[in-house]
Formats: sequence, structure tokens, C-alpha cells
Amino acid sequence: MQNQYRLGIDAGGTFTDFILADRKGDVRIFKALSTPQDPTLAIRNGLKLIEEETGISATEIVSNADLCINGTTVGLNALIQHKGAKAGLIATKGHEDSIEIRLGHKEDGYRYDPEYPPATMLVPRYLRRGVSERVISTGAVHTSMNEEDVREACRHFLREGVDSVAISFVWSVLHPDHELRAAEIVREMMPHVRLTVGSQLYPQVREYTRTSTAIVNAYLAPILTRYVEAVDGYFRSLGAKNPVRYFQSNGGLAVGSVVSDQSVYAINSGPASAPQAALYIAEPWGLKNIITVDMGGTSFDITLTRDGRANVSKNIDFLRYRIGIPMIQVETLGAGGGSIGWIDAMGLMQMGPQSAGSEPGPAAYDQGGTQPTTTDANLVLGYINPDGLVGGRLPLNTQKAREAIKARIADPLGLSVEKAAYGMFNIVNNNMVNAIRRVSVERGYDPRDFVLNCAGGATGAHITALAREMGITRVLISKLASGLCAYGQIISDVKYNYMAPAPIRLDGVGAAQRLDGLFAGLETKGVADLTRDGFTQDRISIRRSLDMRYVGQVHECTVEIDPFALTDDALTKLIDAFHARHEELYTYSERQSVVEIVNVESAIWGRVDRPNRMSVAPGKGAASALEGTRPMIFDAGALAQDVPVYAGARLGAGDKITGPAVIEEITTTLVIEPNWQAELHESGVYLVDMIGA
Amino acid sequence: MSHSKVDPITLSVVRGVLETTQREMTLTLEQTARSSVFNLAHDYSTALFNATPEMILQGQDIPIHLGSLIPAMKSVAKYFEGDIHDGDLILHNDPEYGGSHIIDTCMYYPVFYQGELVFWTVCKGHLTDIGGPVPAGYNPAATEIYAEGLRIPPLKLWDRGKPRNDVINLLLSNMRARRDQQGDFNALIGACKVGARALIALMDKYGKDMVQTCIAELLNMAEAHMRSLIAKVPDGTYTGTAILEDAGHGFGDFDITATVTITGDSCHIAIQSPPQIPYFINSYEGNSHSGVYLGLMMFAQLPPPYNEGLYRCVSTDMGPKGTLCNAKSPAPHMNCTTTPMETLTDAVRLAFEQAAPDKVSASWGHANGCNIAGWDKRHDEEYVTMVLASIISGAGATANQDGWHACGPECCFGALTSGDIEMLEHSYPIIIHRYSLMEDSGGAGRNRGGSGTCWEVEPLDTPMTLITFGEGRRIPAMGAAGAKSAMVAPKVGSLELTRNGKTEVITNNVIETIHPGERAANRNPGGGGFGLAFQRDIARVVDDVRNRLVSEKGARLDYGVVFANFAALEVDHQATAALRATAA
Repeated sequence: MQNQYRLGIDAGGTFTDFILADRKGDVRIFKALSTPQDPTLAIRNGLKLIEEETGISATEIVSNADLCINGTTVGLNALIQHKGAKAGLIATKGHEDSIEIRLGHKEDGYRYDPEYPPATMLVPRYLRRGVSERVISTGAVHTSMNEEDVREACRHFLREGVDSVAISFVWSVLHPDHELRAAEIVREMMPHVRLTVGSQLYPQVREYTRTSTAIVNAYLAPILTRYVEAVDGYFRSLGAKNPVRYFQSNGGLAVGSVVSDQSVYAINSGPASAPQAALYIAEPWGLKNIITVDMGGTSFDITLTRDGRANVSKNIDFLRYRIGIPMIQVETLGAGGGSIGWIDAMGLMQMGPQSAGSEPGPAAYDQGGTQPTTTDANLVLGYINPDGLVGGRLPLNTQKAREAIKARIADPLGLSVEKAAYGMFNIVNNNMVNAIRRVSVERGYDPRDFVLNCAGGATGAHITALAREMGITRVLISKLASGLCAYGQIISDVKYNYMAPAPIRLDGVGAAQRLDGLFAGLETKGVADLTRDGFTQDRISIRRSLDMRYVGQVHECTVEIDPFALTDDALTKLIDAFHARHEELYTYSERQSVVEIVNVESAIWGRVDRPNRMSVAPGKGAASALEGTRPMIFDAGALAQDVPVYAGARLGAGDKITGPAVIEEITTTLVIEPNWQAELHESGVYLVDMIGA
Repeated sequence: MSHSKVDPITLSVVRGVLETTQREMTLTLEQTARSSVFNLAHDYSTALFNATPEMILQGQDIPIHLGSLIPAMKSVAKYFEGDIHDGDLILHNDPEYGGSHIIDTCMYYPVFYQGELVFWTVCKGHLTDIGGPVPAGYNPAATEIYAEGLRIPPLKLWDRGKPRNDVINLLLSNMRARRDQQGDFNALIGACKVGARALIALMDKYGKDMVQTCIAELLNMAEAHMRSLIAKVPDGTYTGTAILEDAGHGFGDFDITATVTITGDSCHIAIQSPPQIPYFINSYEGNSHSGVYLGLMMFAQLPPPYNEGLYRCVSTDMGPKGTLCNAKSPAPHMNCTTTPMETLTDAVRLAFEQAAPDKVSASWGHANGCNIAGWDKRHDEEYVTMVLASIISGAGATANQDGWHACGPECCFGALTSGDIEMLEHSYPIIIHRYSLMEDSGGAGRNRGGSGTCWEVEPLDTPMTLITFGEGRRIPAMGAAGAKSAMVAPKVGSLELTRNGKTEVITNNVIETIHPGERAANRNPGGGGFGLAFQRDIARVVDDVRNRLVSEKGARLDYGVVFANFAALEVDHQATAALRATAA
């Protein structure tokens, strides 16, 4: 880091987090309320707040920063609220409806629900137009394109006032000429619309996924373009030396023009930086298998790294829309501080996914909420300070919390309030544990081989309990945990994905050579892009992945490799790796069966220098940070015991705390359960180990 | 509110783990299976049973399988009673032992804990072939089950941890596209083992006794829930009769009648159907359970989890042995999971509609699809599959909303997926020229039924055998709460064959050879509407017209909406009011 500062800004649902790192190793976190109506307003407000608290002006920070990095929820919010652009689709005639047929499927869990509506069409049927043209599975042209059909579609879109167009044809990935010619016609007839071309945005086999990805991109592009222009302009006006970098769902940074053109990459950028942050936090201990859990007010996000690499998802339904591009796998569950406890029609206690949100919020907020929430349970259990969260700015009403739990949970089930509260705590934890299984066990990983990393403001109260439930014996909690994603963004690299279709069976000759050629083509382009972006060769790294399966399967296992030359010999090893991975996931492999590849991808990184690590002065022993005690409950018997409470700000490096105990940081509360011991490391991270494990 | 006998917190936790276990089994099947019927279409189910064996959790899979696994598991356990060992794996498909149709292959894996049989993990899935004279199993010419494929009574595929390779080889040698069938066997076995692994971990953690106590309580709670729903229905006897159209056997249309008798918090469902016929639409008793339970669920509309406790207060009588819905060997049956299952479901649904008029959903479009087979020159190998994209029909409307488009057929209730068309063209030598919704296909109603689909195919470079099955080509999906359509033709299915520029419409089940350059378009029906169509909000009709889901003619005939200027979608409100008044 050559300049004075690096600034990270991550917009979340409730708060926008700011991380300001300086050259000396001072890393500070600030929070401003998010402003979804005008997302740039929260940035201005936050910078004003930083000036108030530190005396350093926005201009001084930005003009002396090597990088300003922004993770945004603009795309996410537009998709959630269906407030994207008016977009049109040009498709192969006969296939205009694949996007609405949605593979003929209704989501699990809603099969008999008469109230569950179909997904809202981002491009309604009257804005989807077919063109006579057809390429077949061999890549040959079966029917050449009727250009007049494209022109007719444009005339229709012009009449309807469409401002973004997606083009997606069947098998265009094997023969993009038709799409490219159609794009020329659209540009000529509609020069002012944003244009998304399926085979360019997402060159992978699977028509439904590609078309859907193109549509989501077209739907968001005009909105992200406006946003990027506003943010870039604001930072330029403050004297920024370098363009603002935006954080993408693939876990890397991009410049604004990429986000405008490939908006779908910006869709879930916030939590995607968690794996990067986790690896950075764990680096002093050399830990590379990490599950990061991030609990906020309404949701719980889980990410995982194994051997230092993040789980990546492709071809998933995101907010009910199929998206193909590689995204850091984020498993999201409706479980947070505001999750409501209730009793279902069968008589079983449940937590969430409904949330009391911030208004009225948990009963303890005393803003009229009468439904018992996770926060209410944690308060009754003594875990969180009744004087309130966020440094005492929001006092909590224990009586209201007790009343809500008594009326809705304890009385109907015939339990004491304390037992009910402990039950709520347990059930929300178990919901989270089941979700953690989806990123670990379902991927063939044993969670006991991982450490658990804490992110988000509400997670600290649950973190040792979650580890206990998963059989995990080591936990990491950064003092910056509540702003961990913004922290992850300022230590991330630039990353772009380059993809190609490769429907190749690995039983003939020449397969290795073909693949090698495909990768070389992708990587030449990627390296050129990063070189243009100012990265020298020594800062560029490449990772390849191949989607492999047994011939006849339709789901692929993604196998990742380094960019070595793909000889026949290397290919044999690759196939072995696939058999092994299949066995890991599904308990068996078929060594005698032919393996095929469907798609390939190269991820290309441009390394960005890291800011200096946070540093904490040596401590004088934990006793000096003792604040007092509070009665707390740590078992199903619901017997309260007096438990020490420590002020995190007064703890120093090397200080040790044995559970049961609570450590109160400014933006989060850490519950150290019995049988756990925490030690604050000089890097500002609590290393919490199960005693005797 | 029932007070649990066990700790309510542990109970909720165990429930969550059971669901997660089942989900992991399902994912294994989906991600490893070979046949597109499994992996693209999700035509499989997974379930967990206790040692009794009672079904303790049914996946949210295909309703077709919802009921039949219950009697099937009991038959299998009984057959091997006293001879079940750790490491055994039992295969079965025979409808005489509770199976649905023989192409649905079931695996039963006993889970032992501390030397004792505690659970069964069970999977069922639709293979692409089961041997026999016609590829993919559906043989409209079969007059006996023997002409449909391999019939497998309960059979140990693994014996105390050892695969019986000679037996496996015998079975696979009798099936087409052996590679795919073998892959599916492996997928089913893998899923069973994944489930067992998770259940053992659960018992390690909470102890076998606690887990069993919780499961017993979950069964009781499901029972109490279903009883409370039935108790709300006035006591009495309600009947529903649905017509099963003649799709090629020549015996004419049949009536299937369901009589639902509600007594307090329990109900009895009796089915009446004609004698079995020498055509592939007979349903054995296990399969008929599925139809009855689906009709019940269209009334109960319960959220998951599903277990056998739900059915404790429900007794059934499928009619005399030897009838269409209670067939006996050697009745041919391959089409039974759709025909007559969907008509049977409709009869039960209709009986419940008499009992609870505002609660029951309209019928969904029935399956009317095709299987394809031939030679793939690209890889010089045989191919055979059921085309699930060819059976995607519209969903029925409910009291609260329009039916989903392209979500059926009724017997699958949205659980199957049709597969990506590029993936289908990659796997099979075909060109799919059309996969679309169809104008005017959704049943008219205050809430409209979902649109059906059209799937049009041409073989790539070699002749293709195409076998059709199902019905719904003359009688549209039944509406609810008085919904009726004036325009029937676009709402039913059909097969259109285009050869040498001439198009032939076929409504019977047939076996045809299609050559390159020729096309087969399979149309699937839309779903039934809910409520009176002339009461549909005019703006919603206009919106459907804008999206070409309803034509100008359909707006007038089905919905009584007249346009003053069709191009501008301006409604003639006076003419509309006058037309709508004629129906009042």
C-alpha cells in the first residue's frame, strides 16, 4: 500500500459499513444507515461521519487513497423489488417462452401452497420476440437468420419504450454469428438501449440458464450504469487518483465499465467477500479450511473456503431467477436477530424465516413489536446487554422480551420463559447448522475439518454454540467482525471469469489438445484485459475449472486445476480427480465409465497490494477489562449463573478469557460458552478454542 | 394445540435433521443419475421409514410416488421378514408388491444401529428402460404385464455388504441403454447410503431411543393435524365422478367415482371403477393410493413435512380386485401413474370440492406425452428416454390465484423439471423446434388455469421411434367453483405429425417412426380455471391478451370481453357488460 489510505464501503440492507485502513496499520470501522432510494447518499453520509469522528475530510481520504472499493446492493435491491429496466428479449423462434416455462418446475416446499405465486417475469411475454434462425447441437446452421424478424422485434420494442435488450439464441455458444449479427441490427435501430448478448455474457452450454442470465443482466444494466456513473463522478470530484473498484459476486474487484456491461456479476457482491476476509484473518495461523457465518437482522449468510479457495456456485436459482455466472457460494437462510419464534400448525416450535425487521423489530426494542425474536431470547438468556446494542445507543426492554416469549412460546408449550428462550436459541442455531450442511456436507466436506469464522453484528452471541453443534473446535472472531465484508473487499484482488462451451467426451484422441487450445484462447484475452487495466505479468494469476460428469449425467462436478499444459497424461490425472470427487460427494464412482466435459472456465486475478494488518498492543491481563457480571443461561435446564462480562476495547494482545464469559465489542457481543477459551491475538482477532479438544 | 410428550426443542431439531437427510438423498439422485427422467425431470422420490415400517418422512418429490411407497415398503419388509441383515440392499418394482409401474425402480436399504434394524432409507426412480418389446416400457399394444418389461419382486441386490453381480448383470443385460440403467442403479444405491450415513450420525448424537421417541411424536402430530382439517368438514358422504377418456383402447370412456365419507375427524375414501382392460392403463392398488392421497392433498394443501401419520385417519377401498383402479395380475399397467391416476385424483378432488367448495384447487392438465428411442450416430450408440418436456401441462387455478403455466402434469404437481433443451439435444440426436406456451390453453375462470405447452421435435439424422401415452386430448382439465371454458379445442392435448407438408392430428396412443425432415409436435393441456370466467377482472383479461395467452376470440368466448380497438387493446365496456350479462 503506497498511499496513506484505503477505503472500503459495503452497502448492506440496514447499514452501510465503512472500513478505513491507513498505512500505520490502524483499521477502523464506521457504520451509516443505508439509503436504498439514493445509494450514493449513504456514502456521503458515511464520509461525513468519518470526518466528525476522526477530523479527516472526505477529500483528504479519497485524494490520498490508493483504492476506494464499493460493494453495492443496488442490483440486488432492484431484483428483489422488481424495479429493473423495461427490457426486451430476442430469442430463437419457438423458444421465446423457455424463460417463463422455467423448466416446468415449482420450487420445493411450496408444492401444495395455493398462495405461492409464480416468479414475476422480468421480461413479460409481449416483450419476448422470436427470430427465425437455428443452430444445432453440432454447431452447424440448420436455418439461417431472418434479419427482418430482428428488425420487426426492434420496431416493436421502440413502440413499447424498451430501454434494454437481451439477445439469446439456441446453441449460440457453438456458433455466435447469428447473435452477433442481430446485435448489429439492434445497435443500428436502437442506438440508445443497453444490449446484452447471451453468447458473450455467458458462453456456456444450457439455453435456459444463458437466456435467464442475459435477461437478469439486461434488467439491471441501465440501473447499475447510472449508479456507477454517480459514484465514479462523486469520487472523481473528491480527487480520487484511481477509478473506484466495485466488488463482484465472483469474489473479486472490477472497474465500473465492467459492472455496467456485466451487471449480473454485481448481484450479490456483499457477502461474496467473506471468504477473502476469512483467509486474511486466519493467515497468522495458516488456516485454510474456514466456514464463515454472518448473521444480521433478517438473514444468515454462510460461505466456505477449503484449501484456501472459496466454494463457487454456477447455474443456481437466485431470488427465483436462474443465474449461470460463477458466484461465490453464499447460502442464505432467513435467520437473524429479528427472526420470529412461532408454533406451526402441527404444534412444532419454529424460528423464522419471518422477521420482525427493524420496525417494529424485536419485542425488546419496545417499538410495538409483540412477536418474540432471536434477540429477545438472547436478552432473556443474559447474553446481550440490556443497556443496548451499538454502543448503548439502542436500549433493550427485557420485560417486553419476556412477555412476548411467554405469550407466544412458553405458555402454549407449557415451558418456563427461560426454557422457551433457550429453546428458541437452540432452534435458530439448528436451522443455521442445517444450512451450514448445505455448503459443507452436501459438497462432500466434513465440517469438523474446518474452523468457524464469525462475521456480522448478531453472530457473536451464537458462534460458540454453532461450533459446538457442528463439532468444530476452533473459532475466529475479528474485532472487525461486524464489518467483515467491507474488510474483505479492501484486501481483495481484481478478478474476471472467462468461459467457453466444451461439449467433449474424454474417450477419443485429441481431447487434451482441444481443451488446451480453448484455455489458451480464454487466457490470452484475460491477460490482455488485465494488462490494459495496469497489471504486470507477475501480478496475474490463473485458475482453470472444468465441469465434468459421466456421460449421461446432467449435473457436473466442477474440477479446478492450475494452468499446466493439458497433455494426455495430465488429462488422465484429471479424470482420476473427477472420480475421487464424485466418490467424496456421492459415496461411489464409476471408474469404467466415460467422462465428458461440458463447459470450461478460467478465472483470472490481478493481484492488488494488501493494506497493513490491524495491530493490537499487548494486554495487561483480562482482569483489567472486567466490567462486572450478568446472570446467564447455558443449558436446557435453564438455571442462571453469574457470568463475567469483559470490555473488548480494554483487552490487549495475549489476554485470555475462559468461558462462560461475554466480551462486549462496540458493534458486537461475543458469547464464550463454558468449555471454550478465547485469546486476543495481536492482529485483532480472538482465537477461541474448545478446551481439551 | 397438542402438548408434546417429549422435549419440544429436541423434537424440532430432529425434524430438521430428518428433512436435511432426505434432501441430501434427493440431491445425490439428481446429481448422479443418468437417465434424463431422473436427473433432468426429478422423476424420483426418497423416503425414510422406521423399523415398523412406517413412513417417517416423504420427500417433497413426485406425488405419484407419495402413496405407493407406503404399501411397497411394507410388502418388501414382509417378504424378507427374519432375513434382513446389515449391508443388504433390496430392489423391487413389481406392482403386485405395492409398486407403481415396473419402470419405477425402488431400492430399500435397511439401516442398522448397534446390531438392530432401526430405519430404512428408500429411493424410487423412473428408469428410461426396463426391457420388454417396446423401448422405454410404454407399450400401447400390451395386453398383459409380461409384454411391458421386467417384473422384479423383492430381490436382494446386495447381500450383507456384497453386491450380487450375477443378478445385477442379468437385470442390466435385459435393458436397453445399459450404461444409463447401470448409472441409475448406482445413483439409487448412493442416495440410500447417503441417507443412512446421516441417520446414524443423528442417533450417535441424540441416542437411538430419543430419536425414535421424537419420530413417534412427529407421526402423532401429523395425524392430529390431518384430523383437525377433516373435523372442520361437515360429516356426510360426498361423491365425485370424473370421466376417463378412451385414448385408443376402443372400449369407450369410463367413469371413475370417489365416495368420501367424513365421520368426525376421520374419512373413508372408496373408489369405484370399471373392470380392468387389456390395455396399459390399469392401476394396481399401491399406485391407486398415490392418486387418492394426491386428491386428498389438493384439499388439505399442507406444508411439509409429510409422514404416514397424515393418513392414519384415512381409510381407503380401491374397489373389487380386478377393476381398473385395483388391478390384478397380469393386467398391463405401464401408463398407470398418469392414466388413470390423474382421473382418479380428479374424482377424489371433486368429492372433496363438494365437501369444502372454496378450498379445493382446480384440476391440472393431464399428462399426454411421448417416449423416444433410436440410434445416435454421433456416438454410435443406442438411446431411449421418456421426454418429460413433452408432458408439461398447465396447473389448476386456486381460490387465490391463476394456475402456474407449464407446471404440470397433475400427477407430478410441479415436482418434475423438463430439462434444458440444449442438454436434451446434446444427449439425444434430436432438434427441438418449439417449446412454448399456447394461446387460449389455460382453462377459463375467475382465476385462469395455467397455460399448457407445445413440444415439437425432429430427429437429427436417423429415424426415431416415438411412443405416445396418456390422455387429456379430448376432455379439458376440470375447473373448480363453477369454472368452465367455452373454447375447448385449444385447452386439450394432441400429437401433430407433419410429413411431406401434410399435418395429421393424432389423439390415440401410438407407436410411430419419424424420419429426419418430419416433425412431431406434442401439445399438452392447460390447467382448469377457478370460479366463473365472466367474473374475471377485465384488466387481467386484457393483460392476458397483451401477452398472447388469450386471443381476441378467447377473450370474447371464454371471458365475455369485447374489444373496441383490438390493436390498441381498448375494451368496449358497453358490449362487454352486455355480453357478460347474458351469462348471469
